[in-house]
Amino acid sequence: MTAMPANGRSRGELLFNAAVVALSLAVFLIVAYPLYFVVIASVSDQTLVATGQVTLFPRGFSTFGYEEIFKDPRIWTGYGNTIIYTVLGTFVNLLFTLPAAYALSRPEFRARRMLMFLFVFTMFFSGGLIPTYILMKSLHLTNTMWVFILPFSVNVFNLIIARTFFEASLPKELFESASMDGCTHFKFFTLVAMPLSKAVVSVIALYYLVAHWNDFFTGLVYIRSNELQPLQIVLRDILLSNQVFSQGAGSGGNAGGYAQQFADQVKYGVIIVSTLPILLVYPFIQKYFEKGVMIGSVKG
Amino acid sequence: MSSLTPKNRRAAIVNLRRDYQLWLMILPALIVIILFNYVPMYGIQLAFRDYDFAKGLVGGEWRGLHYFSQFIHSFQFADLMKNTFFISLATIVLGFPAPILLALLLNQVRWVRTKKLLQTIVYMPHFISIVVMVGLLNVLLSPNTGIVGHLVAAMGYPDFNLLASTHAFIPVYVLSDIWQHGGWNSIIYLAALSTVDPSLYDAAKMDGANKWQTIRNVDIPVLVPTIIILFILSMGSVLGTGFEKVFLMQNSLNLPVSEVISTYVYKIGIVSNQFSYSAAIGLFNTLINFVFLYVMNGIAKRNSEISLW
Amino acid sequence: MRKVLSAILTISLGVGILAGCSGSGNGGNPTADSAVGSGSKTDTGTGGGNGAKVKLKGIMLKHPLTQALSKMDWLTQAEERAGVQIEWQEVTSDWGQKKGALLAGGDIPDLIVGPNAITDADFAQFPGMFEDLTELVATYAPNVQKMFDEKPETKIIATQTDGKIYGLPKYQRFWPATATRQFINQKWLDNLGLQMPTTWDELFNVLMAFKEKDANGDGKTDDEIPMDFSPVGTTGFGFFQPTVLLGSLGITLTDGSGQGYFAENGQVKNFLVDDRYKKMVEFLNKCWAAGLINPEVFTQDYSKFQSVARGSGDTGKVGFTWGWEVTDRFGNTLAPQYTSMSPLKAAADSSVPVSWDYDYNTLNYGVNMVTLSAKSKHKDAAMKFVNELYDPKVSMQVLFGSLGTNIKDNGGDGYAVLPPADASMDPGTWKWTSTWADNGPMYIADSLNLTLGSDMQSVGKQTEPLDQAFAAIDKEKNVLPSMFIKYSKDDNNAMSLINTNMMNLAMAKFSQWVTKGGVDKEWDAYVKNIQKIGLDQNLSIMQKYYDDYKGKN
Repeated sequence: MTAMPANGRSRGELLFNAAVVALSLAVFLIVAYPLYFVVIASVSDQTLVATGQVTLFPRGFSTFGYEEIFKDPRIWTGYGNTIIYTVLGTFVNLLFTLPAAYALSRPEFRARRMLMFLFVFTMFFSGGLIPTYILMKSLHLTNTMWVFILPFSVNVFNLIIARTFFEASLPKELFESASMDGCTHFKFFTLVAMPLSKAVVSVIALYYLVAHWNDFFTGLVYIRSNELQPLQIVLRDILLSNQVFSQGAGSGGNAGGYAQQFADQVKYGVIIVSTLPILLVYPFIQKYFEKGVMIGSVKG
Repeated sequence: MSSLTPKNRRAAIVNLRRDYQLWLMILPALIVIILFNYVPMYGIQLAFRDYDFAKGLVGGEWRGLHYFSQFIHSFQFADLMKNTFFISLATIVLGFPAPILLALLLNQVRWVRTKKLLQTIVYMPHFISIVVMVGLLNVLLSPNTGIVGHLVAAMGYPDFNLLASTHAFIPVYVLSDIWQHGGWNSIIYLAALSTVDPSLYDAAKMDGANKWQTIRNVDIPVLVPTIIILFILSMGSVLGTGFEKVFLMQNSLNLPVSEVISTYVYKIGIVSNQFSYSAAIGLFNTLINFVFLYVMNGIAKRNSEISLW
Repeated sequence: MRKVLSAILTISLGVGILAGCSGSGNGGNPTADSAVGSGSKTDTGTGGGNGAKVKLKGIMLKHPLTQALSKMDWLTQAEERAGVQIEWQEVTSDWGQKKGALLAGGDIPDLIVGPNAITDADFAQFPGMFEDLTELVATYAPNVQKMFDEKPETKIIATQTDGKIYGLPKYQRFWPATATRQFINQKWLDNLGLQMPTTWDELFNVLMAFKEKDANGDGKTDDEIPMDFSPVGTTGFGFFQPTVLLGSLGITLTDGSGQGYFAENGQVKNFLVDDRYKKMVEFLNKCWAAGLINPEVFTQDYSKFQSVARGSGDTGKVGFTWGWEVTDRFGNTLAPQYTSMSPLKAAADSSVPVSWDYDYNTLNYGVNMVTLSAKSKHKDAAMKFVNELYDPKVSMQVLFGSLGTNIKDNGGDGYAVLPPADASMDPGTWKWTSTWADNGPMYIADSLNLTLGSDMQSVGKQTEPLDQAFAAIDKEKNVLPSMFIKYSKDDNNAMSLINTNMMNLAMAKFSQWVTKGGVDKEWDAYVKNIQKIGLDQNLSIMQKYYDDYKGKN
């Protein structure tokens, strides 16, 4: 984009680039400000936050919210558990999802349409929470860490995404020529398909990773003991105090809205505490979407 | 099996021998799905039965379509369907293209660091929990004290309360959704764009294509399979508004447009254990979604070769 | 890969089975105690070595602020005295979802503690899952029996329609007759030289003055919010809302009358279709149109509602509003500016005796505070522990915290609730932080000599302006005893469906009429719609139960 031949085009190009810059800036501001607001609100006096007096800088600075979060000893077990579930869970997810997606992407695989339907069907129809709970219980998965890892280790949405990528980026001819050389599906998958699909693998990994990280429902329903609870449950407990009070005053009729301001500050702190670690993962994943990372090898 | 002629059977065996590796690769996923998704599916019966714990989960009296007709004839039915449909439709119409446009935009940013920073920023809101998201909306949109509220007032609508208006509910819901998830949803398109062969850009430049033409002829075609697949999937949520955000955004002023199927189910579920009734409403909802998906998939299959199954 | 899966499954199955074995084996196995850790060792040391303790499992629905149960001295001591050791699962949120799976899976612990944690509907839905406590109370729980004897209504609210008792109630005695008190900024009245309003019209004029003049004296005339009330939900009215103005028209709300039901001369009625409600809506619309009501009243959340009233520094922001207690509502700095008001008359010449929202029952009684699993292997021991909770001295600590840290023993001269150890904390928060508080089962006997903390004392004082109205209420005919009536499962289901639909319509109309007007024009059609939804059916069901209840008492 440095040396442009014709004048007319370079003006158009200039205009185009200006538009890109302007739009990017607009997107940046629109997205960044509320995020920044969360950060300053987490260290500000909540009465001032709620009445709109905190806009650009923190006011009534206090770290009460964070103190409240970190004084809860469960938070550290929560972090530990979540990291284990996330890492192990994502590993199992990929192990189950990627080969299946590959198989479903092969045009010569006769059963693929029928199987795909079988998978998609489960995105819509389910037996509901109670039969699932009973099943987990009879498999003795309740109140064990495996309930975070095994039961829903294949997410059909991710399966479809992976399959679509494999279909698009692994031309039929590629496998045909490879199989001439005696390459089996196993080999082709591990030696050719995987290295060519870093972008989608990293996206799927990210999707699973984040799903595990944010999952509170599993802990909520299937886990009894505090030692096994993931971070999100711990944080949710801390967070929901705000709502509990507003309901309590409205309908329960306990002691009105005591401690409102205590509970409120925690709200914003929780977001930061729970999000920061997962944000650090993104740059590692991001580098696999850089242009042309693996295109060279397609030709080879 | 009797319908299989010897020839067909031989073909099947050949297929199996040829495909056994593929079968093995799909087997773990298949087992997981069958065990954890299909086995509990007997619970669907609950929508057609009374729930009677003493007789077992699905041992209650068979009521057929009783609970479905109860819902269809209920006072709220028409409003619920209308509200749910419009919120979902707006989410699809506005929310679906947003991440695609964002990915195309990000793809045009030339400075690597800026691009990475921007990418990281737009991806962050995804991690805000719904409770805090709605709290943020309340604070920022407040006509008296919120920054967006002030903006609206400055544009000449001093008394317009974005949180109260029945007209503003859907825009606020959808736009905040795009704000929150647009960046996250664009990741998949960015990944797709990364598979573009750089030589294609060079070739486009050689042919004298301008930027717009390059986007149209090089970038978009790479995105098309993903777009089609995701669009088919989005059709499966025509009646699929999430529960929590709508519920938390509800207030008595916007209630005429904000009561949707999921919030209604919650309300009847919470006051008494209407297991069967809420199961029936859920199933009704799902069926409609599935029909839309099925039809859309058929259309896509006929016209583009790309389809879910 | 299949092998991997099955291997993992087998391992997890194995772990599960092992855990199951050790769990059930513990009860009868004295040696297992030593494995529990240092906590139990010191316990047995101080307790005088009473041998093996019975192991129980319990769920406690506590407030999110509440500290870990293991830190509550009174609880440790109560378990000690009952000879049990309870492994508590502490639940602070999402109980509804957890419960669904728990009950359907038949997977409940020995004890479940919490306010209406298991509802009457659950008992009906899951027959045989919970133990009928009638016999056990008589045998093992003299303290509970005493509560039933001294306060017979506690037994009524505990007894299901089939005569069985699955959940035990609480009685906490000290709570006031209403949750909602009415506050006005006295300083603003004085600043502007105004009289305390006594009628709706006078209130309107006072609020007009608040709006148009610089009532808070900060030099600005436009930053006062004359009237504010708590967020009106979508499922019904709540406390601290203008529905208390219906008292001016002679309607006695009961427990907030969230869905509009009240009693009048022995008739069950619903104010949502009452002309007096229409009159109140018209008044509110008049206030709204004049700009007297906080424009965000229908959209703000509870935390904003509270924050706004705290003003900034010593400059008040809100003129007239409702709340629980003055420091809770306005913060310590502004509280002295506000004063609690008597109910207003609708008009100067109105001869209707004024009334107010009567919440004594719902504030002082609670149902199903503790339940026992029918499958429990140690019902006797569990019941002994429950009995401990209802001991007068323990109950007091359930509510306010442990003796020593939260309650002072005045020797023979009764007890006194201590102020918070942390001076920056208010007494209410201190209570919720320290102990089970209102979420626990308890019986605070009328004979207990306990001096309350400053918060409860001031609640009592701020209720005084309402006392005259309460004294005039005929509790036999004009208070709907919702708390004491148990509906059958079918009636309950039918009624709640109708109520859900009705409230959807009514709440939307209420806020629309207040903000945009039009109640006069739309009223008849609205009433017809409410009837169509089935209000009359509900009223006749409720009337039947109400008459039954009165016949029995």
